[in-house]
Amino acid sequence: MGLLSWIIAVPFITMLFVVCVPARQWRAIRWISAFGCGIHLVLTTILVYRYWQEASPNMEAIRSANLATLFFVERIPWFPSLGITYYIGVDGISVSMIVLTSLIIFTGSLASWYVDIRTKEFYALLLLLVTGVFGVFVSYDLFLFFMFYELAVLPMYLLIGIWGTGPKEYAAMKLTLMLLVGSAFVLVGFFALYHASGLHTFDLQQLATVTYKNDFQRWVFPMVFVGFGVIGALYPFHTWSPDGHSSAPTAVSMLHAGVLMKLGGYGALRIAVYLLPEGAKMWALFFMVLSTINIVYGSFGAIMQKDLKYFTAYSSVSHCGFVLFGVATLNVIGFKGAVLQMFSHGIMTGLFFALIGMVYGRTHTRVIPEMGGLAKVMPWFATMFYIGGLASLGLPGLSGFVAETHVFLGGVFGNPWSDRTATLLLTIVATMSIVVTAVYVLRGLATVFQGPITNEHYLELTDARLPERLSTGILAATLFVVGLLPWLFINLTESSIVAIANRLTTAGTP
Amino acid sequence: MVMLPEIIVIVTAFAVLLADLFLDERRRVVLAPLALVGLGAAFVAGLAGTSSGEVFGGRFVIDAVGWWFRLFFILAAFVTVVVSLDLLDGRTSVRMRGIGFRGEYYSVLLFTIAGMLYLSAARDMITLYVSLELSTLPLFVLAAWRRDHAPSGEAGLKYVIYGALASSLLLYGLALVYGITGETRMDALAAAVTKASPGALWFASGLIVCGLGFKLTLVPFHMWAADVYEGAPTPVTAYLSVASKGAGLVFAFQIYYRMLGPWLQDWDLAIAFCAAATMTFGNLVAIVQNNIKRFMAFSAISQAGYLILGFIGANAEGVPAMLFYMLVYVVTNLLAFACIVWFGNETGRERIEDYRGLAQTNPMVALGFMLALFSLAGIPPLSGFVGKYFLFSVTAQAGMHWLVAVAAVNSTVSLYYYLRVIRQMYIEPPAEGATTLPITGTLAVTIGVLSAATALLGIIPFFYETIHVHTISWLASL
Repeated sequence: MGLLSWIIAVPFITMLFVVCVPARQWRAIRWISAFGCGIHLVLTTILVYRYWQEASPNMEAIRSANLATLFFVERIPWFPSLGITYYIGVDGISVSMIVLTSLIIFTGSLASWYVDIRTKEFYALLLLLVTGVFGVFVSYDLFLFFMFYELAVLPMYLLIGIWGTGPKEYAAMKLTLMLLVGSAFVLVGFFALYHASGLHTFDLQQLATVTYKNDFQRWVFPMVFVGFGVIGALYPFHTWSPDGHSSAPTAVSMLHAGVLMKLGGYGALRIAVYLLPEGAKMWALFFMVLSTINIVYGSFGAIMQKDLKYFTAYSSVSHCGFVLFGVATLNVIGFKGAVLQMFSHGIMTGLFFALIGMVYGRTHTRVIPEMGGLAKVMPWFATMFYIGGLASLGLPGLSGFVAETHVFLGGVFGNPWSDRTATLLLTIVATMSIVVTAVYVLRGLATVFQGPITNEHYLELTDARLPERLSTGILAATLFVVGLLPWLFINLTESSIVAIANRLTTAGTP
Repeated sequence: MVMLPEIIVIVTAFAVLLADLFLDERRRVVLAPLALVGLGAAFVAGLAGTSSGEVFGGRFVIDAVGWWFRLFFILAAFVTVVVSLDLLDGRTSVRMRGIGFRGEYYSVLLFTIAGMLYLSAARDMITLYVSLELSTLPLFVLAAWRRDHAPSGEAGLKYVIYGALASSLLLYGLALVYGITGETRMDALAAAVTKASPGALWFASGLIVCGLGFKLTLVPFHMWAADVYEGAPTPVTAYLSVASKGAGLVFAFQIYYRMLGPWLQDWDLAIAFCAAATMTFGNLVAIVQNNIKRFMAFSAISQAGYLILGFIGANAEGVPAMLFYMLVYVVTNLLAFACIVWFGNETGRERIEDYRGLAQTNPMVALGFMLALFSLAGIPPLSGFVGKYFLFSVTAQAGMHWLVAVAAVNSTVSLYYYLRVIRQMYIEPPAEGATTLPITGTLAVTIGVLSAATALLGIIPFFYETIHVHTISWLASL
C-alpha cells in the first residue's frame, strides 16, 4: 500500500476503531479520533515533503506538459471489463487540497471535543466523510472519483440531522437532495465522456487525450460544471448552503464549508475544464456572470444576517463565488487564484465556524445584536475572530488578499475566447464586493466584540480552553503563513495549474 | 447430472410434505432444517455442478445465465426459509394467529422455487409456460397464508385475479406466436420470427410483453403489487419481491434473447419510456406511503424500472449488468426484509413511524437496515450503487443520455423516501419506555451476513467480472 492509499485509509481505519469501542467510552473515542487525525496530519506532512522532493527537479517538465503530471501513482485494475481502475495519484493541486482537509479535520476533531451526545456515531460519521473527501482529491479514475464524491456527501445528512440545531431535518434533507441531484448530472456527464471517448476507460488522463466534438462539449460542459457548481454553491444552486451550514454542528460546518464546497471548484477545474476545454471556452462568460452574482449577492446577503452562522454562510457563498470566478477566467492567474482561494477560504471558514461553535457553547446565542463587548471576557476568541475577519475582507498579509488579487487579475487579463469588455466589467463589479465585505465584517466584529458588555451573564464566561486554543491557533497561523509566504503555496500548485491551462490553448478544434 | 439441483428441490419438497404427515406437532420443528438442508444441497449441487448441459433433447438446458439464476433463486429461497422460521415456529413476541402449517408452507415454497428453476432452463414454449405457472400458482397460496387475516385473503385474491389475467394474456400471445411460426422449440421459433408476418407478431409481442410487465411489476402493470405486498405475511412479501422478480427477469431473458429477440430490438424507445415511467411512478408513490411493506412494494416497482435498462440497446454489457443488479437486489432487498420481518415479529407494527429510535435501542439491526436502504437508493460504495452504475452505463452507451439523467434524478428522489425511514431510526428519539428488542440468533446471523454482502459485493470485483466472463461467452453461443 502506497502513501496515498494510507492517506485514504487512515481516517477509515480510525473509524473502524471508533466503531469497535463501546459507546460509553466516549472519552476514549474522542482521543482515538484526535489521534487518528494527528497521524493523518503527519502523513500529509510527509506527502508534501516527498512531493516537493520529487516535483521540484522536474518543475519545467510539469509546467510544459499537456496533461497533469502525477506523483505516487497507484494503479490496480478493479473492474477490468469496464475499464475501471483503482487509479490514484497527486499533482500540486491535489496536494494542496489534502493539506487543507487534513488541517480542517484535525482542528475539527479538536473543536468537537465537547460533543457529548452519541459521541461514537458522531466521530464515526465524521471520519467516514473525510475518507470520502481524501478519496476525491487523489482519484484519477472517474468511477472512483464519483464513488468517493458521494461518500463525502451522504454522512452529512445524519451529521446535520442528529447533531444539528434549528430546522435541522429540513436543512439536512435539502442539502442532501440538492447535492445528489447535482451529482446525478455529473454522473451523466461522466458516462457521456466514457462512451464518447471510445477508449473504454474511466481513466481521467486517458480521457483527456481525446478531443471531443464541439457539439458534444457544448452540452456536456455545462452539465458537469453545474453539477459541481451545486456543491460549490454556484448561484442559483446555492440555497442549500446557508441552511445547511447554520444547522450543522461545529465540526460539520467546518468540514462542509471548509472542504466539501471545495470539491465543487476542484471538480469544475479538474474535470469540466480539463476534459472539455472547448466547452469551457464557449461557456466561460456565462459562468463568469453567475459567479459574479454569487460574489455580490453573497456579500449583500451577509449584510442582512442577524445570525452569526447565517452571516458566515452567506459570506461563504460570496467567497466560493471567487473560486468559480477564478475558474471561469480560464487563464493561469485566475486558476491560481481559484485554487488559492479554495485553500484560503477553507481555512478561514473553518476558523470562523470553529469559533462560532465555541462562542455559542458559552453564550447560547448566535444572534449578533444580542452580543456585545465579548472581547473583554474572551480575548483569545476575539483575536482569532479578527484574524479570520481580516483575512475574509482581503487584508494584505493574510491569505485572502493573495487569493483575491489573483482572481481579479485573472479577470482583468480575461481570456481570448470571451468578450473583453464584458469580462472587465464583471471583474469591476466583483471587485466592488470587497467594500461590501469590509462593511459587514467590520460591523459584525464591532457589534460582537467591541463596546461595553451588554449582558451581565457574559461576565462569567471563560476564554478558550486548550483544545480550542490549539485548533483555532493552528488555523489562524495558517492564514498568516499563506498570506506572508504565498510563494510556498504558489510553487506547490503553479506547475500543475499551468498544465491544465495549457490544455485550453493546445486543444484543437476538430 | 444436469438436473440435480431441480431434483433435489423437488425431492425435498415432497420429503417435507411427507414428514409433515407423519410427525406430530412437537417434532415438526425439524421441517425447516430439512428444507434448509435440501436447499443447501441444491445450492452446492448448482454451484459445483455443470454450467452447461442439456436433457430431453435440448428442451431443458443449463447455460451460464441459467446457472447464475439458479443460484439466485436457491439463495432467495434459503433466506426466505430462514426469516420465516421464527414466525412459523411461534417464536415471536406478538402472537400471530393463522400462521403455521409449516409442512405445507415450506413445501409450497419449494415448489415455486422448482418452477423458477425450470423456467430458466426451459427451451420449449410449452415447458416455459408450465414452469411459469408452477412458479406462480403456489405464490397465490402463500400470499393468502394468514387465513384469518382479511388483508392477507385480499392479497391472495387480488394476486390470483391479476395473475390469471396476466397469464391469459401471455398464453394468448404465445399461442399467436405458435400460430404464426408453427414452432414450440425456441431456437426454431426465433429463426421463424425473422421472416414472419409483422401485423400479427406486433400483437402477439404486445400481449407477451403485457404478461411480462405484470411479473416484473412494470408500470402500468404494477397495480397488484402494493396490496399483495402489504397483505401477504412478511416473509412471503420478501420472497415475492425477490424471487418473483427474478422469475420475471428470467422470463424476460427467455423472450428477449431466445424467442423474439430480433423483433424486440426495435422496441428500445418503448422499453425506455416504460423504464422511465416505472421508476418515476414507483418513486413518487413511495414517498407518501406510511406502511413499510407498501413502501417496499413501491420501492420494488421503481427498482424494476432500473433493472430493465439493461435491455436497451441490446448490447453485450446489458446482460452482465442486469445479472449483477439482480444479485445485488436479491441480497439487499432480503436484508431490508429480514429487518422488517424481525421488527414485525417483535412488535407487530408495520408503520414507518414505529421504527423511531431504533438506532438507539437496536443499533446493529438499524445499521443493517440503513445499509440496505442506502444500497437500494444507490449510494456508494454500497453494492446498489455499483449495480446501478453499470446499468446506467449501458443506457448511456445506447445514446440515451436523457434516460440516464431521469434515472439518476430518480435515484435522488428515491433517496428522499429511504431517508424517511432512516430519519425515524436515527434522528427521531425512541418512544418513551422503548427497550432493546430481542432478536433470535438465526435472524441476527442472517442480518449480519447480508449486511456484509451488501457492503462488499460492489467493492469486490470478483462477482461482476465472473458474471461478465460467463455472459459474454453466453451471448456468443446464442
